Formats: sequence, structure tokens, C-alpha cells
Amino acid sequence: MDCRKIITSSIAAGDAVVPELEAQQICRAYNISCPATVLATGKAECIAAAQSMGYPVVIKIFSRQIVHKSDVGGVITGIASAGELDQAYDRMMANIAKNSPGAEIGGVIVQKQMPKGVEVVVGGLRNDQFGPVVMFGMGGIYVEVFKDVSFRLAPLDKDEALRQVRETRVFKLLQGVRGEQPCDIDALCDVIVNTGRLLAEYPEIAELDFNPVFCYPDGCTVVDARLVLKST
Amino acid sequence: MAEPFTAPIDNFFKPRGVAVVGASATPGSPNNQIVQFAKQMSLTGNVFPVNPRSEEIAGLTCYPDLMSIPAPVDLIVIAVGAQHSLGVARQIAQRRGEKGDAGAVAVVTAGFKEMATAEGEQLQSELIATIKASGARLIGPNCQGVADTYNGINTTFSVPPNTPQGGVSIVSQSAAFATSFLRWARDQRLVGVNKFVSLGNMADLDFRDMLAYMGDDEKTKVIAMYMEGIGDARGLIDIAASVTRRKPIVVIKGGKTSLGTNVAQSHTASIAGNNDIYDGAFRQAGVIRAQSVAEFYHTARVFDKMPLPKGNRIAILTVVGGPSTICVDELVSTGEVSLAHFSEELKLEAAKYLVASANIGSPDGYIDMTASVNPKMHTDVLKLLMNDDGIDGIIFMTTPPGFIKDDELAAAIVEGYNSVPDEKKKPLLSVMLAGNAVARCRTLLEEQGLPTFEFPDDAARVMVNMVRYSEYRRRND
Repeated sequence: MDCRKIITSSIAAGDAVVPELEAQQICRAYNISCPATVLATGKAECIAAAQSMGYPVVIKIFSRQIVHKSDVGGVITGIASAGELDQAYDRMMANIAKNSPGAEIGGVIVQKQMPKGVEVVVGGLRNDQFGPVVMFGMGGIYVEVFKDVSFRLAPLDKDEALRQVRETRVFKLLQGVRGEQPCDIDALCDVIVNTGRLLAEYPEIAELDFNPVFCYPDGCTVVDARLVLKST
Repeated sequence: MAEPFTAPIDNFFKPRGVAVVGASATPGSPNNQIVQFAKQMSLTGNVFPVNPRSEEIAGLTCYPDLMSIPAPVDLIVIAVGAQHSLGVARQIAQRRGEKGDAGAVAVVTAGFKEMATAEGEQLQSELIATIKASGARLIGPNCQGVADTYNGINTTFSVPPNTPQGGVSIVSQSAAFATSFLRWARDQRLVGVNKFVSLGNMADLDFRDMLAYMGDDEKTKVIAMYMEGIGDARGLIDIAASVTRRKPIVVIKGGKTSLGTNVAQSHTASIAGNNDIYDGAFRQAGVIRAQSVAEFYHTARVFDKMPLPKGNRIAILTVVGGPSTICVDELVSTGEVSLAHFSEELKLEAAKYLVASANIGSPDGYIDMTASVNPKMHTDVLKLLMNDDGIDGIIFMTTPPGFIKDDELAAAIVEGYNSVPDEKKKPLLSVMLAGNAVARCRTLLEEQGLPTFEFPDDAARVMVNMVRYSEYRRRND
């Protein structure tokens, strides 16, 4: 399924936010790496998927009626074996039956749990006066508190993305502190450039958040991708 | 009537004649001052006051209306009350239709959209519609129009006619902001100005048009902008990015804080205030954004006077310790500038000229000549630093000792700076920390094209801006 179709059908379905699986497909089409993710329709399929991607994994409930998954016990992380997955699956179904009895369950998302890296955010928005704008900065849940971010107009090239990264304080962490290996800043700049391209090519996208993006010495991965569509 | 053609912006700066509609015969009134200034600065003498109730204003023949001016008039200053401006606009359209001139209109009058009333908005849109239909261009309303020191144009009541000529062109949303700079700078010869534009409400011409025009204007070496905001910021940045490849743009922006509410669904959109986006966009386009008024003024004028540094290695030459510490702190704080490395030869050579207690190279890139200085030491050491290819710029600091005369010190610095050929020149910023006690030394240096400062941190910030812009130019060459 290509990006155009995903966005068109999300709009047709009245989604303000592109569903996670589809958001990941869009990312991959733009060479933005995401963790291995599979939609499974039953416990056996879940276990098979986890087996093929390797533990640890995360499972998340997949239902159009459930927007805030963790609030209803619809997210379980750190599952390290088939045995744990077996129990976690049952626990989640019980949570949902109790907290969201009416929800139609489309299945369970099985996702490779990524090891911790340096947490950054790559974001984007369409501004009335500036058009497409890309944000980079320190990621995680405190992004709005510390506001260690810098902006560029999109699209932009890789040298410009590097200058953008250098303007933030999180850049020091990416370079490695106290004997840590430096992160793959080159790969991170690719993510920024590709995000700018995505935003510039799809005017239907109003805002996007890749937060956190985990940065490693070899590459980086978008752990959570949120694509917000323009309300029409 | 022939199809109206859109007049070129040149009409504002090279008009064959200037008409002031609403000119006043009352000395001391703004509308009399406009005529006085226009007359004093005019090279052609083609200034035409228009007012049906006067026959002569400021020694110039006064005309009852625009149509009766017999000579070509390209620039019309509308200085009548807002409610009468529409009538003047119709006369402009008539004159354009019949005589083909009247291509540039500066509306000095206030009382339009800035009032935020339905009436003000209505007046402005009718005025613009009439002017545009005639093919003329408009600056304002609610502005002071333009001044040009080389072409002898002045439509303002506050840009002094004796403003020194130079390479800085000022484009400002606020006339008061820009003219206060000129008045402050005039006596000490701090700045040389080419063009001045006060944009006001920007109902027709805005920052984009002016940047494009100034970008192509040969006599404009630096563009200094005071801005609050613009609807099409992307368009502005695109034009700025093409201009900064040729000449520097220095901006100070009002309206940093946002009082708006946020309905964003993502972290990104909730953080992204326009001010932060301006920051990034200006950097991307090579526009230098000043954080204070002093930094703005000094950066703009120094870009005009000094060559760009070829790199980021700066030497500090001083007679005073404390202020130098402040200067170095500010200089290296952004990480973009470092102190130069002194070779052993340079250190030995410098030691020959200075007293034994002088500090040469501690830290590296730093020379404190101490208070036991004479003018010759200034010249000798400056020559050495100017000649050294490992140094890209110099900041000199002094509280001139009472035993050195102003003119001797100024001459010594000028001689040191001019000891190398132009292609080897690097920026030299001189900090004169003694207020009015050294006013004469400062003026002498400024007259020789060497920029001076009152405070060491201001000089450091300007040097950082020059290094930053120079880096931008090198990567875009």
C-alpha cells in the first residue's frame, strides 16, 4: 500500500491521526526506520510473530474504538519469552473486556521492543506563515518542558540537518559522554531530511511527531510515530 | 486611457521630482518639516509642496493640486488626513493616466488599518485599490516613506538630512526605531547610510519587495531590518536566502513572545512558536538575527566598514584585564569562535616591542600590553597581528591612558590596520572604554573607517556574527 492510498483512506475513514501500522508503512516508504511490527489476530499468531522477530516484544491492542491504549490496559511491554507472551495476551484480553467492553478488537500488534538509545524527537508541522517546518530536539516525555529544539524549513538537505542537530544541547549526548560510543548522527540526519521530504510532499499532513527516536551507535529507530492529518 | 503599467521601485529612490501633498506652511509642524528636509537634501531641487491654501512653503512654489505641477513628479508623499487620502489617490491615477509619471507613493498619514476599526480598514483598502489600478506602487500607510543619501531623497520628518553616506540600507516596520539609530549615530560618525525605508502597514510594498530591491542595489552593502511580522514568511526567507549570498542581512525582530492559544495534537506543534521558527529559518537563510538593539546597530554598521573574517580564529589585544575577560567569555560562548593560536615567532617578535611585564599568549591568542603603553607599541603589535595568517580577526580594548593623546592613539591604530594590503585585511574592532573622555579618539577612528565600541561584549557579539556570516558565505560560494 503506498503512502498516497494510506493517507487518502485515513481521511476517508475520518481519522485525525494515521493508525500506527499505517504510519509505520509511510515511514518505511521514506527510509525512516521503525521497529518490526506485525498485526496478529490470535494468540498463536502473536507467538509466531514474536518468535520470528525475537524477544523482547511489546503487545498493543488494536481497535478503532480505543484511542488511549495504555489507559485501558491495552499495552504490555518487556515480554521476554513465549510463556510470558501467553500470559500477557490473556491478561490484556481480560483488561479490555473489563475496561472497554463494547470495543471491536481488530487484533493485537506485536512489536519488537527496542533497546534504549539516546532519546530524540523529530517532528514536523505545517505553519500558516512558513509552510512545512521540521523540528529536532531532545525527545521523551519532557520535550515540552525543556524545549531543547531547533527548527528548519522543509525540505532541507543533510548538511542543514546536521547544523540543526548541532544547535541543540542533546547534540552533546549524541556525541557520547563519559566513554559512551557516539551515536550515528549521519543516520539521524537522514531521518530529519526524509521527514522534511515527507512533510513537503504531503500537504495533508498537518503535524507529525516521531518521539522518541532511539539513536544508537549504528542507526536510529522511530519508536513512536504520530501523523496528524489536516482537519477539512 | 492606456493600460496602466506597474511602476518600478526605482521611482522611490531616483525620482525626477517629489511632491508633498498636504505640505504645511507652519514651521515646526511635521508636514512643514517634510518639505524642509526634502528641500535640504534634494540634489535636483525638484521638490513641490502641494496645498491649495498656500502659495509658497519653505521658499518653494506651492501648487494647489498634483495636476498643476508642470515638471515630472515620480514620487508623491501623501501627508493629508486619512479621509482625504482617497481624493489624492484619484489625482495620482489621473496624473499617471495623463502624464505617465507619479509611479511611487509614500503614505505618511496614519489612521488606516492600524486603527483596527472597520472604517480604517475600509479606507486602506480603497486607497490601495485606487493606487494599484493606476499601476503606481505604495509604501505605507502609517510610515515615513524613504530617504536616500546618495540620490538626495527624504520624505521623512525625522531622518536628519545630514546623515552620513555609507553602505547600510535600513528597512524598518517602525520609523521611530530606525531614525533613533541615525540620530544616535550621527555625531560620532558611527554609521553610513545609503537608503532608509519605513514600511508602516505594508499595504503594498513589504519586506520581500524591499529585500529584492536592496539585494540588487549596488550601493547597498548591508541590509538592516527591524521587523515585527509578515504574512508570507516563507516568501521572505526565500528572497533573503538569495540576497545573503551576496550581502549580509541583519535583523532584529519585535514580537518574540506569543500570547496565542495552542490546539496542537503533537508535541512538535505545541512547542513550535513562530519566534522559534524564525530563529531556525533565519539561520538556514544566512540572516543574522541580533538579540539586542546594540547588537543590531553595531553588527549592521561593522559589516559595512570591515572585511569579512576568513575564519574563526580571533586575537585579543588589550591594555585592560577585566573587560577582556568579559569579551573573551562572550566571544567563545557560542562555540563558533575560538582564540587564535600564536606561533613562537609571533610571540618573540611581540615581546621585542612591549614591556617585560606584558602578557603575550596567556591564554593563547591573547596579548595584554599593560598600561605601560605608547602609541608606537599599538602600531607595531597591530602590524604583527594584521600580518599573521593564523589570525582571522582582532578585538582591541583600551581605556586610553591620560598620557596618550586621542589623535596619536587613533593614528597609531589606523597605521597598524593599514599596514597590510586590502586583500590581507581582517576585521579590527576597537573597544574604547571611557565614554565621552575618548569621544574624539572614537570619532577619529570612525572617520577612518575603523569601527569602535563602548563595551567589550558588544564587540564580541559583532565578531561572532561576522564569523557566522562568513562561514555561511564560504559554504555557499
